[in-house]
Order: sequence, then C-alpha cells, then structure tokens
Amino acid sequence: MPNKKIHDINTKRMKIEKTLDKNVNFLKSTLNSEDVTFLDLKIGNKNAVIVFINDLVDKNSVGELILRPASQTKGELDKTQIFELFLSPEKTKVTEMKDLINDLLLGNTILITDQIDCAFSFGLKFFEKRAITEPPTSTVIKGPREGFVESLPVNISLMRRRLKSPDLRFENVTVGKYSRTPVTLCYIDGIADKELVNQLKAKLSKIDIDAVLDSSYISKFIGEHKISLFKQIGNTEKPDILAGKILEGRVAIFVDGSPIALTVPYLLIEDFQSASDYYNSSYSATFARQIRLFSIFLALFLPALFVSAELFHLQLIPLSFLLTIVNSIKGIPLSPSYEMFFTLMIFEILNEASVRMPKYVGMVVSIVGGLVLGETAVTAGIISAPTLMIIALSGICLYTVPELEQTFSILRILFLIIAGSFGLYGLIISVALLLTYLITFENYKTPILAPFSPLIKEDLKDTFYKGFLLEQENRPLSLKNVNKRRIKKKIDGDK
Amino acid sequence: MQSRKSKFIMLLVLFVFIFFFSNDFGLINVEKTSIITAVAIDYENDEYVVTAQIAVPEATDTNTENQKAQLSGKGATVGEALKDLGDVSGWFPKLSFCNLIILGNSLTDDNVIKAVDYFTKTLRVQDSALIALSEKNAKDLLTLATPLDNISSFALQKIILKNTGFDKDVAQSDVKTFCSDYYSISESSYMPLIKVIPAGESQKSQSSGGGTQNSGGMNPGTSASEQKGDKDNLFDAKTTALFLKGKKVGELDNNLTLIFNMLTSPIKGTVLTVKDMPDKNGEKSNYLLMVMRSIRSVKVKADENDLKVKIKINLYCKITDHTSKNSDYSLSQNIPIPKIVLEKLEKDLTSNIEELIETSKQSGCDFLQLKQKLYRNNYKHYARYKDNYLSVIKPEIKVTVSGQT
Amino acid sequence: MQKELKTRQVCLFLIAFTPIAKLFIMPSVLAGKANEDLWICTLINVVLDFFTIASIIYACKNTDKNLTQLLESSFGKLGAKFIVGIFFIYFILKAILPISEQADYVKLTLYTLKPTVLYFLPFFIVAFYVCTKNLRVLGRSADILWLFTIIGFLILFALSIANIDFGAILPLGANGVKKIIDGSYTTLLWFGDGAYLLFLMGEFKFRKNDGKKIILSFLISSLIVLLFMIIFYGTFTYISHRQRFAFTEISKYTSVINNLGRFDYIGILLILFSNVFALSVPLFFASKSLDYILGFSKKWISPLIVIGIQLFILIFLNEYYASVENFLMSKINWFFLIVGNILPALCVLLTKKESKKQYAIEKI
Repeated sequence: MPNKKIHDINTKRMKIEKTLDKNVNFLKSTLNSEDVTFLDLKIGNKNAVIVFINDLVDKNSVGELILRPASQTKGELDKTQIFELFLSPEKTKVTEMKDLINDLLLGNTILITDQIDCAFSFGLKFFEKRAITEPPTSTVIKGPREGFVESLPVNISLMRRRLKSPDLRFENVTVGKYSRTPVTLCYIDGIADKELVNQLKAKLSKIDIDAVLDSSYISKFIGEHKISLFKQIGNTEKPDILAGKILEGRVAIFVDGSPIALTVPYLLIEDFQSASDYYNSSYSATFARQIRLFSIFLALFLPALFVSAELFHLQLIPLSFLLTIVNSIKGIPLSPSYEMFFTLMIFEILNEASVRMPKYVGMVVSIVGGLVLGETAVTAGIISAPTLMIIALSGICLYTVPELEQTFSILRILFLIIAGSFGLYGLIISVALLLTYLITFENYKTPILAPFSPLIKEDLKDTFYKGFLLEQENRPLSLKNVNKRRIKKKIDGDK
Repeated sequence: MQSRKSKFIMLLVLFVFIFFFSNDFGLINVEKTSIITAVAIDYENDEYVVTAQIAVPEATDTNTENQKAQLSGKGATVGEALKDLGDVSGWFPKLSFCNLIILGNSLTDDNVIKAVDYFTKTLRVQDSALIALSEKNAKDLLTLATPLDNISSFALQKIILKNTGFDKDVAQSDVKTFCSDYYSISESSYMPLIKVIPAGESQKSQSSGGGTQNSGGMNPGTSASEQKGDKDNLFDAKTTALFLKGKKVGELDNNLTLIFNMLTSPIKGTVLTVKDMPDKNGEKSNYLLMVMRSIRSVKVKADENDLKVKIKINLYCKITDHTSKNSDYSLSQNIPIPKIVLEKLEKDLTSNIEELIETSKQSGCDFLQLKQKLYRNNYKHYARYKDNYLSVIKPEIKVTVSGQT
Repeated sequence: MQKELKTRQVCLFLIAFTPIAKLFIMPSVLAGKANEDLWICTLINVVLDFFTIASIIYACKNTDKNLTQLLESSFGKLGAKFIVGIFFIYFILKAILPISEQADYVKLTLYTLKPTVLYFLPFFIVAFYVCTKNLRVLGRSADILWLFTIIGFLILFALSIANIDFGAILPLGANGVKKIIDGSYTTLLWFGDGAYLLFLMGEFKFRKNDGKKIILSFLISSLIVLLFMIIFYGTFTYISHRQRFAFTEISKYTSVINNLGRFDYIGILLILFSNVFALSVPLFFASKSLDYILGFSKKWISPLIVIGIQLFILIFLNEYYASVENFLMSKINWFFLIVGNILPALCVLLTKKESKKQYAIEKI
C-alpha cells in the first residue's frame, strides 16, 4: 500500500491552503525524508518557504533566481507581483497539493508563501546525466552516431533537432505509483493514425504498477498478446532511426530513465532493417539484408537440420560428407541430438556469462570457453568437430539480427528438440505451426508479417530487397498512416 | 485465461523435453548403419547372393582414405538376401548411396529383371544407380583391388560414368532405364559388360599406379612386387550386353558400342581413328580426329509397303594427332583434314551402323528402340509391322563428316 | 463491411494449394489407366473444373453474398444446412486419400531407416490449429506459400528437364477413349477445386477483371499439373505406374545430384511445406461446414471432430487401405463429380434469381 497521505492527495484533490504553516507541516509529514530541504525566507512582509529536493536542483539558480530577488522586496506583495518577481523561464502556479508534490518530485523548486492559496513551481532541475554516445546495440560504420540517453528531456531535444516540424507532437503521461515516471508519446500529427495515438494514451494511463524502471516495462503492458514469444513493440536507441519510423507513421514512446524508445506498431521485418541500409547504396543494403536472412535461416535451422539428417535422413547428406561425419562421431558417447543439445546449452551458458561478467575477464572467458573448452572437448572425444562448428556458426549467425536474438535462440532450441525427436517432417510441421501463428498475429490491427502476409507489393521495396530511395514514394501501406506520400519523385526541372 | 494459456504452453514444452530425453524412437544410429556403395548380385544354388560393398570410414590424421568391407547375404529374392546381409552383420543396410549394381554372369541364364526389379519397386534404393553386367562372378568384381581407387566400386563408377571430355565408349545404363526399356513395347534393354583386365596386361598401361607400397628398397621383386601386382587390376566396360525380355541375347563390341552411343546421345570430345591414309609423300599415316560437334537423328518411316529407319549423322571433327615423318604445323593450329580422310571415316561409320542394325536384327534386341519409334510416330502402321519390324526394316544411312579442309 | 479475403489471396490460394495434392499418387494411378495419355485425362478434369470455376465467377458477379447466405435466402436455414452437410461429407472424403498419401510418403521415403506413421501425426496439430482460425488464415498463408510452391516446382522441373523423353506422350489418344475417360473418372477426387472457390464466394470483394485474374490463376495451377504429368511420363515412361510418390522422384536423375547430393530436396521440402497447408484446406472447410450446421459455441469443437475423423481413418482403417482407396477411386466418383463440379456450377442459378430479385427491388 503506498503512502496513505499521497493516496489521499491524489484522490481527494487537496487544495493548497492560505496558512503557510499548515502547508509546510503537511509537506514535512508527507515527504518525511532528509533530502527534502525547507528554506525560510521573507518576500516583502510575507513569510515564505522554498522546498526542493537537494540533489535534483541547481542551487546556484535557486540563489540567483529566487533568493536574491526575494531579499530585495519590501512591503506587501500580492500573488501576481510575487509570480512576476522571479525570472526563472520555467515557472507555474500550482493550486493543488497533488501537483505541488509531483513537481517537487520531478525536481522543481517550490515556493510557498503565507496568505496566498497557491504555490509557485520553478523548473530549476539539475542532475548528472550520461553524455550522448553511440549505442552499443546499433553501431554504424557510416551514419549518425548519436544515441538516446536516460534523460527524457535530452531525448526529446534529440528528436526536435531532427524533426523541426510544428506537427511533431509530444504528449505526456505519468506512470508508476512510486516511480511516477514521465512517459512521453511522440508522433507526427498528420501522419500517425490518431486512433492509434488515442488507444496508446488510454492504455498508458490505465497502467497500474509500482514503478516503471525501463521502457521494456511499458512494452509488456501495451503489447496485445501477453504471453507471446515474439516482440510486439519495436524499439530503438537511435534518434535517426526513430525519426525514420515516426515519419513512416509509427508512434514512439519515451520513458524517463530509459535510453530505449518504443515504437508502435511493430513489423517483424523492422529488425532485419539496419540504419546503415538507408545510408548505403541500395545494392549493398539488399545484399546485407539477404545475408541477414540467410544467416537467420542458418542460425535457426542448421543445428536442427544437421541432427535430423544425421538421425533420420542420411540420404540428404552427400556421401563424401557423410563419411567425414561418421569418422568424426566415432566414439562420441552421446547420440547426435543430445550432443547438439548439450553443446548448444554450453554455448548459451558462455553467451550469458560473457554478457554478465566484467569486461576485463571477458577475454578470459572467450579464450577458456571458445578455444580451450571447444578444442579439448573435441580432442577428448566428448563432442564431434562438425557439431562444434555448427553451433559456432549458428551462434554467430544469430547476431546478424541482434534484436531477434532472444526469441530466435529459444526457437532454435525448440526446433532442435523437435528435429531430434521427429526429424525433418517434425521440423516442417513446427515451422508450419509457427507460420500459422505469425500470419494471424496482429498488434494494433497491424499484421506482424506484413508486407509478406498479407502481401503488400508496394512495401516489398524495403524488405529483403532494398529499393532505391526514389522508388519508395509512399509511406509503408502495412502501417495505418494518414498521409501516404512521402517523396515527390521529380524535382522541378528534372526530366 | 492467460495464465491457463501460459500453463498449457509450459506443459507442452515440458512434454516435448521429456519426449526428447526419454525416447529414441528406435533410431538407428549412423554408426550402426552400413553405407552401401555398390551391390553385386549372383545366382548360386538356386539362391540370390547379394554382396554389398560398404564404405567404412577409417580416416585418421595420417590417412585420409576410407576403407571398404564386403558382406554377403543369401535369399530366395534379392530383398531377402539384403535382409540376410543385415542379419549377419548387425548393420542396418542403407541403400540410398548405392550407386552401382553389378549383375553376375550367372543371372543371365534366367530373366535378369527378377533380380533388378527389386530396385525399382523399393524406395530404399536410388533407381538412378548404374547397372552393369560382370563377365564372370559379380562378387569378385567388388573384391578386386585396383589402383584407381581404394574402393573398387568407386573405380568401376569412374569407368562407367565417363564425364564430358572422355570418349563416349561405354553404353551406360541405370536401373530405371534398364527396367523401363524392359517394360517397353520392344522389351529390349542393355547394360555395359565389365571385363577385368588382368595384372600382366594392365601393367603396361599403367605408369605409376600402386607405387605407394612400402618398398624398403631391400628385396626388389619379392613380396612387395606381388602386392603391387594384386592392385593392378583395371576394368573395361566398352562392351555392351544386349537383353531381350530380360535374357542376354548378344553383345556389342567396342566399335559398335561407340556407334550406338553416337546414335543415342551427343558425343562431343570423343576421338575416332582413321588408319592407313596416304599422305602427300605417298606414305601411310594414321589420323586421330576429335568430334567437336555431332548432330544425329534416327527416324522410323512407315507406309503400306515399306518400313525404313533413316539414320543421319553429321560430325564436325578436328585433328588431334596424326603420324607423320615430317610435320610443319603444331596441333594447336586448326589443321586442315584431307578430304580422303573424311571420306574414309564416313565409309567406316556407315558400315559400322549397318553392322549395328544387323546385330540388332540377329539378336532380336531392339536397343535402338525402333519399335517405340514406330509406335510413337507411325501409329497408323504400328499394327502392320509390330511383329516383324526388325526383319523388314530397311536402313537408310547418311553419314557426313566435315572439318576444316 | 470488411471482407475476410482479397481477390489476390483467392488467386494465390489456387496457385499455392490446388496443384500439390494431385502430384503424389495421382500420376501413377493415371499412368496405370491411360499410359501416355495420362495428361489427356488430366486435361479433361481440368476442363471440368474450369467450367465449374467459371460458373462460380459468374455467380460472384451477380451477388455479394457468401455461400451460406445465398443458400439461406433460397432454401431457408434448414435447406442451407442440408446442402452444407453434403459439402461437409465431400470435404471429409476428399481429404482422406491425400492425407494418407502424404503419411505414406513421409514414412516411406523420408524415414527409410525406421518408417512409422508416428512421424506424420504432428500434421494434425497444424491442421487443427489452422481449422480453429478464420478464413483469413488461408488467404494469408497463400500470400506466402504460393512462392514456395512455384519455387519448389521450378527446382524440380529444372532438374528433371534434361532427362525427359518428350516423345513418350506420343501417339496422342492411342489408348482409346474408354481408358482415357476411365482415367479421368477414377481421379475425380483429386479435382473439384470449384468447391473450394464456392466456399470463398462472397468472402472477397469482387471487382471488374477479378474473374479474369481468378481464371488465370486456375490456369497456372492447371498448367503446373499438366506439365508435371508430361515430365513425369517423359521420365519414367513404361514404369510410370509404379512411381507412387511421383513428384519426389522426377528430379533425381540429373548428373549434378551425384556430385552435390540430393539437393533437389530443397524443392521437395518447399512443396511439402506448402502441402501441410494444402492438406489442411479440405479439413478447414469441413470444420467450417460442421460449425455452420451444428453451431458450436466454442471454435475448437468442430476442428476437433473433423481431425478426429481423419485420424481415425488414417490409423484404424490403415489395414484396409486398399479397400478405402478402391472405394474412393471407383465407387463414389459420382459423388465427387456431383458435389465437386455440378453443385458448385449450379449455384449460378441461385444468384441469377438473386440478381433478378435485386433488380426488382431497385426498380421499386
């Protein structure tokens, strides 16, 4: 149960009273914490108190913009005179205790004055934030390197710098009973579907959770299929990618404290599209996407195909290769499917360990795990060389599309188990089952497999084939967007 | 509802895991599978004896070659013999890699289809496997050592399955072709007849084969040379065995096999020899011509009075060698072929074709599938000639050989 | 009102799903009946289907209603249920042989070491899942799988074309009309694709030129089947009638296979993948028919019944497979002809009445 007083404030719409002591006492009892500072001062003849949270405000600004002008006042000042006295660019009048506390917790400085039934809130926030760097999850060779940071205002500023349009809209919602995290919807009015924006706003405002510590919390709430293995909400750490997505008609969601922005609706093909595809020639982008597709195919199916061929369908393997395989598996104590499964598990363990452990021991892990473990396991006859090679190849291939790594690594294990139990036909059946699931999978009325299923010819130009920029005249039809055209093909004077 | 769904999914995953770890579905491990690369079938004491050559992977760090093993099984049918083979070895016979089926001579006393048919009826075997007849015992052919390959069936395949660039001098056939010819209206089929070229004869044609034996250099001419001799068997498949209704009725020799191939498929790269041709000095020399292009057609024309087979061959050749005392050009040049050589070749080929048709008539084996051509293209007259077509058919042969003159 | 399907999906449905089931044992059955004239038998059935489909397209022009609405407006609810019931039986019967062919194929050619029907049973999970979905699942799967089917066949055709004796289909009609008609009549169960289109009627918005597109798709799918028949007979000639799993056999004689292994399996697997959905199509329509007749509250009940029936037939009637095959191919061909071709074609009469009624209303 959260603080009862806070609960009362929220529900009973408590007003700020004219008596200073009453207000201050209430605040002291509600925010009973040592980092909340109450500073007495006089404004003219009136007693006043400044309240702020120690590490969230710029104290110099408090001195310069509030204390100094206050010390120079004399006589009786009314509400308006006091408000105009202070030169802070971000100042508001607050009449309800709920808003006062909200502003205070956000890092604003509050001035409460005796005999006045409102308080003044000044935006003098200052806290340490991370510098803007290139996000490690989506690095590019050519192209913008800026990435979002944990600070919401910084992220909003990054978007504003890219899309200097009056139609770029930001709408705020606060989520989290304890965290009171600001969540901002970002979209372009006139491109994004208004119904989608309203739907999202309604969903966000209904979220009832203690705290939102990262944007991923939000994605769990706004996804329509709660137990799905597949991603339903897109995400990005780069403002240039987000700007592109917003311009296609998507709606972005920023969460304060998270460098990852969410995008809705999500298409599976998005994760095969890399930012650099749009900065390189369409030939190399198409090639890169084909490579990614092929890699994902290998990553998902290679262990399963190998095991099923080895166990059930020897005829699929060319004779000379088969003889090599038989040579290498002689004396291996495990059956091919168990061998592959356990090797895959070891790979996943190494993977998990290398992500978690400190960087300076990471090198040791890769040497011990990759070289020593692998080499000795083969030499000792515990696992065979082809198995090790297949797992290594499959593992590397998965990272060509890092966004899908989590989903696909689970699928890889499932496919392996099915192939080991039922062979190739079992594998075909499981893929058919998956396909049936995916083709009927919709999120915010957008099919996840679009533009392949349903087939949208126009949108195929930005899938595994990356068309030339001028070919992509319209925004994706797979998404529900309002204004379809985005490129005028001919520049005046062109022939 | 959602929690019920997720519980169901968890249960399903658990079930799949348990299934995976607790059931081997009676799988046959690849190590317990015998990879049969060739099968030899003989008929002994009223039983089929099937000998399978099995590739046994034995590669080590120092030796990359695979070994072979021969196993035999017996039975009243080929299927039973194969089953027997598995029973005596404990290996599950895997026939998908069997690319060669050799029939022993003993099978030709009866209808060979009784043995071969099994391979088109079952899905366990590739009916694209090559088929050949052994001059003697089929089993012996698989056990022979040859310098061509560690595994003799691979060596035999090299001989039968000649790639582009080699002479088209083997009339290759596979199980499917043999059976479909057998079941065709002419009931005539063929396959190459494999002869073993014994050690003594082969040695002269072999320069360095088998030279990897441990000589030690101490006792030349003793056991080491004997071992070498054991490995000196080569194979010849240029003779073609002819079958009518599954029984062997004749053979085509080297020349006729080549002509037969010339009439049934393109023969680019094949060389033809023209002997004893006078050169400009009046001396006799031999020419070796390579076929650069071949166009052929075999058509059956029928009317009320006549049944004709019109055979046309058009070859474009180039000299690749000729015996001469004094030559002033190199072979890389396009050397003009003397007209007299072309005429001689045309004459030789014409008489060979005549001989080929005569062989067909005498043996009764319609290996050129003339009856089929009659049926397909002259259906009106099919009934008239279907019973005596081989005896009444008249060949019309036109051979044209050209080259740079 | 938003329609479940697009015309494009109907067209791709015909290309993706209708040719595959015809290419397992049907070619060998036809070769056994009519030898080199097998493609003429196929052509006759294709022409029959063509007329059925053309009639349905004509019906689509006249009305926007789907089958059940059309039947209800003409025969009342009870009459509609009766007719849909006939189609339910038709779809159940139509599915039996293709499913057991596929089961046989899976166990005999894919699992040569240890063949058992167990390996095929997971198919019913997919079929059940597909049947629980709405019509959109067929359209959307067709959107993807047409490519699998086309690429699969292209691979197989490309690999087999070098070894074909095209002269094998000569002389035309030498087997006589009786054998040809017998061949066509025996293989009716694999045709009758008009019944599928009948159930798709009214589920997509029919625009001008849509009829041509549907006919073109049907012709492409028929061309695949006809071409396959010719390639098949050209490959196996006199032993064609023994090639039970025809489409997996035609491509293995190319010399490239010897060097690279059975890479023709890429094409085979693509087609097998499409076939999982193609086999689910009659079951899908059977379960929708049952749902309409009995009006179950839960969407999984009718699929469960339909799958149960098929499972029963596959497992328990397996011992009497030859009798079942004989029953379907020679005893109830008339049923397949009537329900698969004649009944769908007759629906055009209902829509004529419909359009007259509409015209009268508009006049008033």
